[in-house]
Amino acid sequence: MSEPTLADCIRERDDPGIAQRKPEALDDITVLDLSNKSFAGCYCSSMLAEFGAEVLRVEPPEGDFIRTCTPYGMLHEGEGLNYLSEGRNRLHITLNLEKPQAREMLKGLVRQADVLVETYRPGLVDDWGVGYEELRKINPRLIFASITAYGQFGPMSHSRTQDWDNIIQARSANQYDTGEMLPEGMSYDECPWAIPTKAGPWIGWVQAGTFMAVGILAALHWRVMTGEGQALDVASAESYASLEDWAAVWYQGAGVINERFGSLNTGGWLYSFAPTRDGAVFLGGLRLEMWQAFADMLGKWDEWAAARWKDLAPFSEKEEQLKWAALVFAETRKYTNEELVRMSVEYAKKGRLAPITPVVAPVCSPEETMQDANWLDRGIFAPVKDPVYGKLVVAHAQHKMTETPMRTKWMCRPVGYDNEHVYLKYMGLGPSRLKELKVAGVI
Amino acid sequence: MAEETWKDYKERKHHRPQPLKGIKVLEVCTLLLGPSGPGFLSRLGAEVIKCEMPPLGDTLRSLVPFGYWFREQCTSLIRPNPNKYWLGLDLHKPAAQELFLELAAKADIVEENLRPGVMEGWNVGYRQVKEINPGIIYISKTGFGQWGQYARENRPSNDGAAQAMSGYAWMSSFPGQPPLKSRLYICDSYGALLGEVAVLAALHYRDRTGKGQFIELSQSESIMRTMSWIWPYQHITGRTAMPAGNRDVSICPADTFRCADDTFLALAAPSPEEFRGLCMAMDRPELADDPRFKDHLTRLKEDNATEILRIIADWVRTKTPEEIEGLAEKHGFAASRLYTIKDVVEDEHFRERGFVTEVDDPIVGQFLDYEFPVMMSKTPPRVNWSIRPVGFDNEYVMKHHLGKSEDEVTQLYECGALGKWADVAGRRPSSDWDGKAGLIMARE
Repeated sequence: MSEPTLADCIRERDDPGIAQRKPEALDDITVLDLSNKSFAGCYCSSMLAEFGAEVLRVEPPEGDFIRTCTPYGMLHEGEGLNYLSEGRNRLHITLNLEKPQAREMLKGLVRQADVLVETYRPGLVDDWGVGYEELRKINPRLIFASITAYGQFGPMSHSRTQDWDNIIQARSANQYDTGEMLPEGMSYDECPWAIPTKAGPWIGWVQAGTFMAVGILAALHWRVMTGEGQALDVASAESYASLEDWAAVWYQGAGVINERFGSLNTGGWLYSFAPTRDGAVFLGGLRLEMWQAFADMLGKWDEWAAARWKDLAPFSEKEEQLKWAALVFAETRKYTNEELVRMSVEYAKKGRLAPITPVVAPVCSPEETMQDANWLDRGIFAPVKDPVYGKLVVAHAQHKMTETPMRTKWMCRPVGYDNEHVYLKYMGLGPSRLKELKVAGVI
Repeated sequence: MAEETWKDYKERKHHRPQPLKGIKVLEVCTLLLGPSGPGFLSRLGAEVIKCEMPPLGDTLRSLVPFGYWFREQCTSLIRPNPNKYWLGLDLHKPAAQELFLELAAKADIVEENLRPGVMEGWNVGYRQVKEINPGIIYISKTGFGQWGQYARENRPSNDGAAQAMSGYAWMSSFPGQPPLKSRLYICDSYGALLGEVAVLAALHYRDRTGKGQFIELSQSESIMRTMSWIWPYQHITGRTAMPAGNRDVSICPADTFRCADDTFLALAAPSPEEFRGLCMAMDRPELADDPRFKDHLTRLKEDNATEILRIIADWVRTKTPEEIEGLAEKHGFAASRLYTIKDVVEDEHFRERGFVTEVDDPIVGQFLDYEFPVMMSKTPPRVNWSIRPVGFDNEYVMKHHLGKSEDEVTQLYECGALGKWADVAGRRPSSDWDGKAGLIMARE
């Protein structure tokens, strides 16, 4: 075949390997990132920085506490691993906002900026005289984005609660109904793992940050249309709660509070993790034909009378799910992950219901994920060679785009690394003035 | 002051403009990864036309929790699909393909989540749409992207597959237990959200240059982006990152604890002032100066973390969640009981902010939905109306957007390009529908 396939044509235009040669969508935008003790704020401005915005990361002179939030206290070249990944593409400066002179300098930067991201407890930036109502007077085009635990208004907004990821997960209702069911007749003491379970990754913080990035981009479009800036307010628990799909409606209609259902799916069948000879796979068949194809693939077409199934809905009932799960798991235990995945790919070619085939996917450790040739080929884990931190693997921006792809240009920087360049560029402050400001504790 | 900025925000929401006013979106999407993206844009004021294959439409229409239908409508279809116009369009038919291109010529954004090549096969792929509308922003969302081995094998995917293959589920489990699937369709919802970051950045670029582009997004790859320390950790140490149950291994203390009444509570107190506050609350002020716990990096070390979490667990076990929440507020650390869905829906704070919002819909009736969770002082996002049966807005779209005559519309129905719902649950209107409510143009 000499004719290039559609996939080839796309790859030729969006392979991350050629991203550096393309324009950047947001390289006309300057962002002040005042995130404090918040991965949500960092993640939000990363999205903008990956699209080429000039993000000035403003930290107190001792650095942001988030740098110390690192697994098991582990440091790499003196830096925490989470910040190593999420301080990317920024210019790092210090500014001690406790000092009035520093606040005046911040205002000078605000006059030259498009977006400000901050995560201080509500009221603090107002107390410092650099809240939205003050700053809009000096820059009416400013987009002022606040991410906090409970938001800028409402009865809980005066709470002192700091916005940590595990608190967001707890407050969203999405931890309560995720987890293994307590086996019949057992107690929590006997099964300490059969309890409400949060996600390992910082998904609460990530939601807050990503929603805010979408809000900022929508506000930027509005500003292009009208010239007006505005204030944006994310309460982190709301952002993670909003991803829930049906439980709130179910509760309103039937008064049912959704409970844990292990790795099965209250929302429908077939949609489950299943044990195998060497681990586990995910099985997906949300259409009747896919569930039939799965039964057929296992050689159970006749025994389970799959030809007579007319509707998927009855299988979704709780008792039916538990009954069928037991039957299915007994079968999947006979095979390895690899065998089951191959059976599904082959069934799509030769099966009775082909090209319909069930989804079968191996449950991977992140080490297996990082070695998977498919993701490596797609450039997800391409190492970054950083002048300060050396060769590193982080997850890259995951869209592929033909005109303005996101990209990782460098990793985080040490505290205040770019003071010289940024203060010279934006405020005309040379080395001797900077030295004075440093001695005075302003930067 | 913040009070001034947000005064009467909820009450005045509908008296303000929306940020994506005038942006037109065409979606050919099913389940969640697809429709959720345009569902975010429609909350921000974009005009979204949802194209579904008549008469059954979106596969999601069949999926309801333990068989529960909300007022005869699909319980799960509501959240991802507010404020849309519903077009029953059979893209197998050449006349439907032409209609799609007529709509695409006037659109800003196309979103689809079919398998690679399907849209192209229907003559409505990026290359075909670009011919007539070079400024189009076109996003294709799939399990594995448009190229690479898995795409080539044409593997189907689901949210659960992405949770499995990314390592996300592995990292969200208790040590020694089988990996646990999130009860959320997290990779669908998050993938969809991340997709809109790219779409809106592309819109900004188009605002500046007039140029459109093609975007591809993989569900599995999207969730990998969220997994932060895990990748550099594995690269630097050569070891597999391991799950830790409810304990946050990057923040200490941060874990879920069991209370005296056998309910659960999340607690975090990592910063110096929070940790000191927690030690005061526990009546153990000396712990704040204990060499094992005195600074965050030391406290995070495995043995020290295990010890301080054990001390906190023993303390929480003697208290109710209300007592701990009160002490947290008083002493300045973070604690929250695990909210149930009832707690979220009925939470006074969420209601006052208008995050939990009342919708009064001609088809679905009155109910509470969630607002787009970014409050915007000048351009508030909002849910105005809810879901519709398959093809419900055909006449409106044909007349309003394309200026088709009655005769032309009739022909489009006759050749099968347009269609409406089947008499099947989740597709049809509720049994008490009067044949008029919610219809925009054709009320017979």
